[in-house]
Amino acid sequence: MEEIMKQFVEYPSDPYTSIAKWKENHKKKVIGVFPMWIPEEIIHAAGMLPVVMWRSNEAITWGYKHVPPYNCPINKSVVDDVVKGKLKFMDGMVFLRQCLQSQEVPFIVENNRPPAFEEYLYLPPIYHGDKASKDFTRDEFEKLRKRLEEFGGEEITDEKLNESINIYNKNRSLLRKLYDLRKQKPGILRGRDVLRIVWSSMLMPKEEHNKLLESLLSELEKNGYEPTKGKKVFLSGCLCIHPQLELLDMIEDLGMVIVDDDIYVGYRYFANDAEITDDPIGALMERHFIKTPVDPARGEIEVNWGKELVGKVKKLHADGIITLLTKYCPPHLCYYPDIKVELADAGIPEVLIEVEHEIISLEGIKTRLQSFKEMIGGF
Amino acid sequence: MGIEYKLNRLDTSGVGPLVDRHWRELREAKEKGQKIAWSSGPLFIYAYATPNMASHFMAGYAAYCGGRGMADEVLEAAERYGELRDTCSYHRLHTGMMAIIRKGWPISDERVVLPIPDLLIAGRFCTEMSHYMEGIHRRFGIRAVTIELPVCRKNEDRPRVEKYVTAQVKDILIPAIEEVSGSKFNEENMREIFRKWKETCIIRNKCWEFLKRKPALWTMWDYGVSIAPIFYAMGKPESHEYYVNLLAQLEERAAKNIPAVHPDGEKYRLYWDGWLPWAFLGKFIRMMGPHGAIPVTGRYPWEFFPHPEDINPEADDIVHEWIRLLYTSPNALAYHDGPWGGEEHVEKLLQDYSVDGMLFFSSKTCRLWNLGQQEIIANIERKYGIPGVVIDGDMIDSTMVSEDQIRTRIEALLETIDARRR
Repeated sequence: MEEIMKQFVEYPSDPYTSIAKWKENHKKKVIGVFPMWIPEEIIHAAGMLPVVMWRSNEAITWGYKHVPPYNCPINKSVVDDVVKGKLKFMDGMVFLRQCLQSQEVPFIVENNRPPAFEEYLYLPPIYHGDKASKDFTRDEFEKLRKRLEEFGGEEITDEKLNESINIYNKNRSLLRKLYDLRKQKPGILRGRDVLRIVWSSMLMPKEEHNKLLESLLSELEKNGYEPTKGKKVFLSGCLCIHPQLELLDMIEDLGMVIVDDDIYVGYRYFANDAEITDDPIGALMERHFIKTPVDPARGEIEVNWGKELVGKVKKLHADGIITLLTKYCPPHLCYYPDIKVELADAGIPEVLIEVEHEIISLEGIKTRLQSFKEMIGGF
Repeated sequence: MGIEYKLNRLDTSGVGPLVDRHWRELREAKEKGQKIAWSSGPLFIYAYATPNMASHFMAGYAAYCGGRGMADEVLEAAERYGELRDTCSYHRLHTGMMAIIRKGWPISDERVVLPIPDLLIAGRFCTEMSHYMEGIHRRFGIRAVTIELPVCRKNEDRPRVEKYVTAQVKDILIPAIEEVSGSKFNEENMREIFRKWKETCIIRNKCWEFLKRKPALWTMWDYGVSIAPIFYAMGKPESHEYYVNLLAQLEERAAKNIPAVHPDGEKYRLYWDGWLPWAFLGKFIRMMGPHGAIPVTGRYPWEFFPHPEDINPEADDIVHEWIRLLYTSPNALAYHDGPWGGEEHVEKLLQDYSVDGMLFFSSKTCRLWNLGQQEIIANIERKYGIPGVVIDGDMIDSTMVSEDQIRTRIEALLETIDARRR
C-alpha cells in the first residue's frame, strides 16, 4: 500500500522533475494543457503525453512583471513558471478561451518563451447547446487534431482516438470507483492522498496510472476499514487549481472527514466519459456539452449548482459544505451568492475559504474552519 | 514659476439631457407597452432595432450610475445581498440594483432603478458579462440568451469565428427577441439606424482629426463624455445634432487657434488604455490637467463603435453586417480588444495621434484587458521608446481607487517623458 502511494505521490511532489525524467526515458513529446476543458485524449492519440498545467511550488516573483496581482492563481502561476523557464521541458502548450483571464495567458507565453507547439481553442459555453456551438466545438477539436498531426508527423486516426478515449474512460471509471469507496468508507484515505491520486492522473501517463489505481483499489478492498469518526463534509469549488495539502490536513485534524467533492483536482476532472463511437471527435464534442457537474465557467442556466450541491449533500448525509473559492475566479465569484442562498434555504451549513496561490494566513483559515466545525455540531 | 495649465473644455452640456431622456424612456417603457431587454456586449443593436422593445446597455448603465454619483450606494446594496467584492463592479452594480428592487431597499436617487427586464441578452464578449445575466436569471427567472463572442487571437481566426457568431445570432438571439417582443425582427429598422448612425459617426471622425493636431483642440475627456450620444441616441436626430454642434465648436477653435490646454497647448500627449473611470473622470482630469497632460486617444473610446466607413447599411444580410463589423472589418472590435490585435491597434493610435506616453488603466475587477497590458507597454517601449505605466483602479467602485497611488504613477510617467526629452 505504502509503495503504491509512493508512486502516486512522486509526480505531484515535483512535477517538473518527474515529467522531464519521464520524457527523457521515453523520448516522447510532452504537451501542457491549460485547465479545465481541453480533451487530452486527442494529444494522447498523437503519441504525446498531455499534462494538465498546475499551480507551482514556489512564490510568484517574475510573474508579477507580466500579470497583475489581482489575477487568478493559475494564470499567475503558469506565467511565473513560463518566464522562469520552469516549463521548458514542455514541447507544446494548448490554451483555451475558458474565462476572461485564461484567454490572454498565451499572449504572455508567446512574448516570452513560446513553446515549439502552441494551440488555442475557442471552446464555447454550453448554455443553449445549439447546433452552431456544437459544430464550432467540433471544428476546434478537429483543428487540434490536424495541428498535432503536423507537429508529430503521424496521422491521428479514429481508431487511435478511440483507443485513447478507452484508456481515459478506464482511468475515470477507476477514479470514480475510488470516490465511491470513500463515500462508503469515509476516511479510508486522507484527503491529501486522494488529492494526490487525482493530481497524479493529470501528470503521468494514464496507462501507468490505471495500473496503480487497480492495485490501490484491490489493496483498499482487501484491507480492513476502521470507521473514521468526524463530521462529514463536502468540498466544493476550487476551479482550475489544487488546494493546499495543509488545508486538507487542517480540515481533517479539526475532526472533519471529507466524503466527496466537486473540485477540479477531484471529481470534476473525471466525472464524464466520452462515448466510444465511430465518430470520436463527435463524442468528445458531446462530452463538452454535458451539463453536470455544473461548471460556472462553462456557462449553464438550466441546471443550478446550488441545487446540485443540496442534492449531493443530502444523498451523502453530509453535515456541511466547505467552499474553496479560487481567489479572483469570476465564474465562481459570481455564482457564489446564489449557492449560499440555496444552501441556507436547505438548512445546509457552509463556510467559504478563499484559496490563493500562496496561503496568506493559515491561522485565519483555521479560525474559520474551527467555527464551522462548531456550527455543524462538534467541539 | 511654471506655466499654469488649464483645460479649455468644450461645451458638452448637451449630453446630460440626452442621457437622462434615454433612461427616463427606459423607465417608462413598460407603461407604453414595450418590452425591455438588458444587454451586455455589442449585441444590444438587435433589441434596439426592434420596435416593441427598449434596450438597456450594461456599460452605459454603469456610466450613468457613476456619473450620477450613485455607484457606491448600489454597490453597497449588492454587497448586502451577498456579492463578493472581487466580482466585476458592473456585475455588482446590476445585481445590486436588482436587490434594491427585490428587497424594496430605499435608494437616494430613484432614477438609477430600472424596471425588471423581460429579456437578458449577454453578448459574451467578456465572459463575465454572461455571469450577471445568469445571476439575474437564477434570481428572477428572466429569460436569458447568451451569445458567445470570442475575442480573436489571430487574424486568420476572424472569418470562422464571425461565421459562428452570426449563426448564433440568427438561430438563438433573433428568435428570442421576436418571441419576447411579439414582433418580427425589422431589418429595415436596423438599416435605417445604420444609415443615420453612419452619418453621425462620419462627423465624429472629423472631430477626431482635431485631436491629432498639435496642440490638440480638445481632449479625450470631452470625447469620453461624448460617446453617450452615439450609444443612447443611436441613429436619432439628437445624436446627429450633438456632433454637428461639437464639430462647429472645434472648427471655431481651429479658426481662432484656441488649444485644448490654456495657455499654449498641452505639454504631454497621452494614450489611455482600458475602460474610462466613469465615476472618477473629474478626479483624473484634475490629476493630469495642471501638468498640461491630456489623453488624446485611447483603445476603448476609439473602438466604440466600428468606424463608419466600414458599415454598409445596404448589405444583403444586415444581421450579419453587424457581426462582420465586429470581426472582419479593418477596425474590428473583436480583434482589437484582445492583446494580439490590441497591440497593433495601440501602435497605430500612437502614431496617428503623436503620443508622448501611455497610461494603461487596469481595472481590478474587470480583467478584460489587464493581462496583456504590461506586455504591450514593454513591447511598445522597446520598439518606439514611448514610456507607459499601469494605473490600478476601477470604473465605478471607489473602494478600489487610490488617488495617491494613481497620482504618483502619473507623475512618474510625466517625469520619464521629461527625462527622455532632455
